Amino acid sequence: MSIRDAWQRLPREARDTLFVLGVIAWTVLPHLDHLPPWCGLLAAVVLLWRGRLALRGAPLPPRWQVGLVLALAVALTAWSERTLLGREAGVILLVMLMALKTLELRARRDALVVFFLGFFLVLTNFLYSQSLAVALSMLVSVWGLLTALVLAHMPVGRPSLQRAGALAARAALLGLPLMVLLFVLFPRLAPLWGVPQDAAGRTGLSGTLQMGGVAQIANDESIALRVRFLGPVPAAEQMYFRGPVLSRFDGREWTRSAAGFAPWPRRRGEPVVFGSGIDYEMTLEPSRLNLLPLLELTPDRAGAAPEIEAYGPLLRADAQWQLDRPVTERLRLQARAFTEFRLGPLDALPNAADDLGLPAGYNPRSLLWARALRDQPRNAGADGRALAEQLLAHIRDHDYSYTLEPGSYGRDAVDEFWFERRLGFCEHFAAAFVVMMRAMDVPARIVTGYQGSDPLPVDGYYVVRQSHAHAWAEFWQRGLGWVRVDPTAAVAPERIRVSRNLQPPPGLMAQALGSVDPAMAQRLRQAWEALNNRWNQWVLNYSRGEQLNLLKKLGFEAPGWADLSTLLIGVLCAISIAGALWALWDRHRQDPWQRLQRRVAAVLAALGVSVAAHDPPRRRAERVRQALGASGDALAAQLDALDLARYAPAAAGRPALSLRRWWAAFKRTAAQQRR
Amino acid sequence: MIQHWRRRVRGWWLARLPLTDNWTLTQGNIYILPTRAGLVFALTLVLMLLASINYQLNLGYALTFLLAGAGLVSMHLTHATLRGLTLHLRPVAPVFAGDAALLEIVCINPGAERHGLALRFEDRAAHGSSFVWTDVPAQGQASARMSMRPPRRGLQPVPALVAETLFPFGLFRAWTVWRPAAQALAWPRPEVPAPPLPPALARPGEPHAQPARGEGAELDGVRAWRRGDTLRQVLWKKVAKSGEWVSRDTAGHAAPELTLDWQAARGADAEQRLSRLAAWVLLAEREGHAFRLTLPGRSLDSGRGDAHRRAALDLLALW
Repeated sequence: MSIRDAWQRLPREARDTLFVLGVIAWTVLPHLDHLPPWCGLLAAVVLLWRGRLALRGAPLPPRWQVGLVLALAVALTAWSERTLLGREAGVILLVMLMALKTLELRARRDALVVFFLGFFLVLTNFLYSQSLAVALSMLVSVWGLLTALVLAHMPVGRPSLQRAGALAARAALLGLPLMVLLFVLFPRLAPLWGVPQDAAGRTGLSGTLQMGGVAQIANDESIALRVRFLGPVPAAEQMYFRGPVLSRFDGREWTRSAAGFAPWPRRRGEPVVFGSGIDYEMTLEPSRLNLLPLLELTPDRAGAAPEIEAYGPLLRADAQWQLDRPVTERLRLQARAFTEFRLGPLDALPNAADDLGLPAGYNPRSLLWARALRDQPRNAGADGRALAEQLLAHIRDHDYSYTLEPGSYGRDAVDEFWFERRLGFCEHFAAAFVVMMRAMDVPARIVTGYQGSDPLPVDGYYVVRQSHAHAWAEFWQRGLGWVRVDPTAAVAPERIRVSRNLQPPPGLMAQALGSVDPAMAQRLRQAWEALNNRWNQWVLNYSRGEQLNLLKKLGFEAPGWADLSTLLIGVLCAISIAGALWALWDRHRQDPWQRLQRRVAAVLAALGVSVAAHDPPRRRAERVRQALGASGDALAAQLDALDLARYAPAAAGRPALSLRRWWAAFKRTAAQQRR
Repeated sequence: MIQHWRRRVRGWWLARLPLTDNWTLTQGNIYILPTRAGLVFALTLVLMLLASINYQLNLGYALTFLLAGAGLVSMHLTHATLRGLTLHLRPVAPVFAGDAALLEIVCINPGAERHGLALRFEDRAAHGSSFVWTDVPAQGQASARMSMRPPRRGLQPVPALVAETLFPFGLFRAWTVWRPAAQALAWPRPEVPAPPLPPALARPGEPHAQPARGEGAELDGVRAWRRGDTLRQVLWKKVAKSGEWVSRDTAGHAAPELTLDWQAARGADAEQRLSRLAAWVLLAEREGHAFRLTLPGRSLDSGRGDAHRRAALDLLALW
């Protein structure tokens, strides 16, 4: 007996239960990636247990057994997550509740609980990924849940899954216009309370730096931003996306200085820029940080500054763009950057204490070494640029290597790095460089951000990933202002030029494909990313800004939140009124045949022929002949034709009669008759 | 007190509805309200919307609105499951009081297929709250069978019925209340065990005789089946063999004629007498007697056969 036959032979109840279990399993599947293993395992065991009960038609386990498993699940959650609150624990508990509830499907009410939990479970998948693949697989889930819901309300017989599925799909498709309307016009609000901080640790731009902190980020291949150049494309080594600038150093940790964090002082004037600039469009993934890593250097001037009113972008004194709230949605913006610039102040450095500060008692050997370098006779009167060149030459010549796994450093991290281990990545080089410069009394600071992008654009967009997080240095020199130096380039120039230093281990599928045909794997990956990018641009990126643009196109001047709501409510009202009117019309709608019969009777009555409402046309024809004699022949013949067309369409030997046309002809004949 | 007022209001409400055996469902007589599940669903949607706002999930918005759209459409689908249907109650066959009378309700569907239509009595307390489920094919009919137990003899109105549906998602419940015009006739419940038949009275020109027990003894002929022959008279074996309907010919000199008289049926009260008379009617018919029935003020002439038996029982029911 094939599986298909077995499925056909299952009792309806068992079949429906297995279907629901399948849908639940499918919905939980994407969660397995980030749930603790015990959770997936326990859920699978419970679902299999339930499936077995369904197949055997066995009774459900008693309540206390289910309660026991639930208690176990709660205990395991508390143990593995250290809490029962928060997102991860919530998702785990939801999965477990969902699986356990299937053991309690006693009444319709229980079934409905499963469905509603299921919809919520679908939503939780979007917390982790909103990619096209996840969206499609969750669409299947929703369809499955709706199908199961329909099945639960078809108590008669054994309706096929296809039938229930078609009915569910029909309801969803009929609701589609409403969904699109709401999606387009429902005002995108800022988070109502406590912005979820869960994702904050994922970007490299946390605003602090401690040696070792960037290592994880370098392995994170998720996308940070996409950038498209409307004009010429800058070289990879020019692509610096400026994030938090760290000036203050307490010996271990680098943080922002208060002076740098102040708004850009107006009296300083704009940074001096050269050239016509590079226009670019950037799509920023939700970073949950309130900063914009823009291409260096994007000045605050009309035409160059990003226009995103909703976030109130502001240029800080350290030339970093700040927002007034965290980026919680995909953000699209246009701006213009200038790769050649003089970043002021050019004449005198206020608050030089922060940019020169070196805490006493840390890295003594480095300080000694740097002062010795400075006191060399050839360096008498050397400016910051010359000293920086010597430091870079030292790094180049002394066997420093670039690695993502330098191991952990101790208290005097710079000493250890500079003289002994000589292993590190961007932040080690940048931090050591800045410490050395400061030791030589040159103001210097660390800049964090992103550097470079994937080498080939996807669909016109250059992809910048979290693995492109970078740290570089700036020193200050009178007349030049802040000058960028990237010490990492001295040891690993390819990190800067090619800007793809480490590939994560590819997945099994990608590995297999890559070993057969690397070029094709590459192409497939790019096509997929292009598709994903379109999805991002058109669906996920749809935010407040796009909504307001839409309103502008619709003719609203200076549209706002209120206009959006007004429009939405207006359209909904219009639809409701149209629906009510249709219902009113439908209420008085008559069967066309009945209506025709009534009208014919009225016409005949006007001619003095009384017929009953239920008389068929041939009886009416007889009456006409009786009452009007030969003069009524034409009318009678038409009535007979109508009768034939209605009751013996095959005998009439003609295609179906148009009632409307017949009625027009009949009226003409009746009018002639009256004359 | 509240119960009382509730009953009053419901009685007033029901009294406004017309009595009819053909109940066509239109916008005017279908009611629709969200169910408890519908409210929970709405709450789920609100929570999902909040989650979407707080986590800024565009797909969350899409999912929420997709479900909201489907839910709203389901309201129309639920309403459309009833709209346009015509409910028709077939004439109700009489039964003995206390027995289940079969109500056959035909659902006539001029439109597309309908699923998950449920019928129940309006007054759950009095008639139980069991549902009868049916699907109605497109452009077709389906019949649902319900049963009511008339507690007493006599003509009794068929209680108000409710046709309702939760299809497709159970978020809304659409229903209509229908008061059928038809009445169910309940015969008096025959006395159990059946009391012995009264002795046949001598009629002029006929010898006095005791009612004979059994009818086989006097079988002496076979004739073609005639309208009015009881099923007991049909010779089923011959029918099966020949395919022609034949009956025992017992006419003429079957069991002697009986008179079932109100006076003879002694009982505590009128109902008990009627109950005894009903038992006698059944027994007399079974044993093939012709009988006449006399009640105070009403009487039924002598006769036999199914029709006669029915007439006698009807007389007892309506007396």
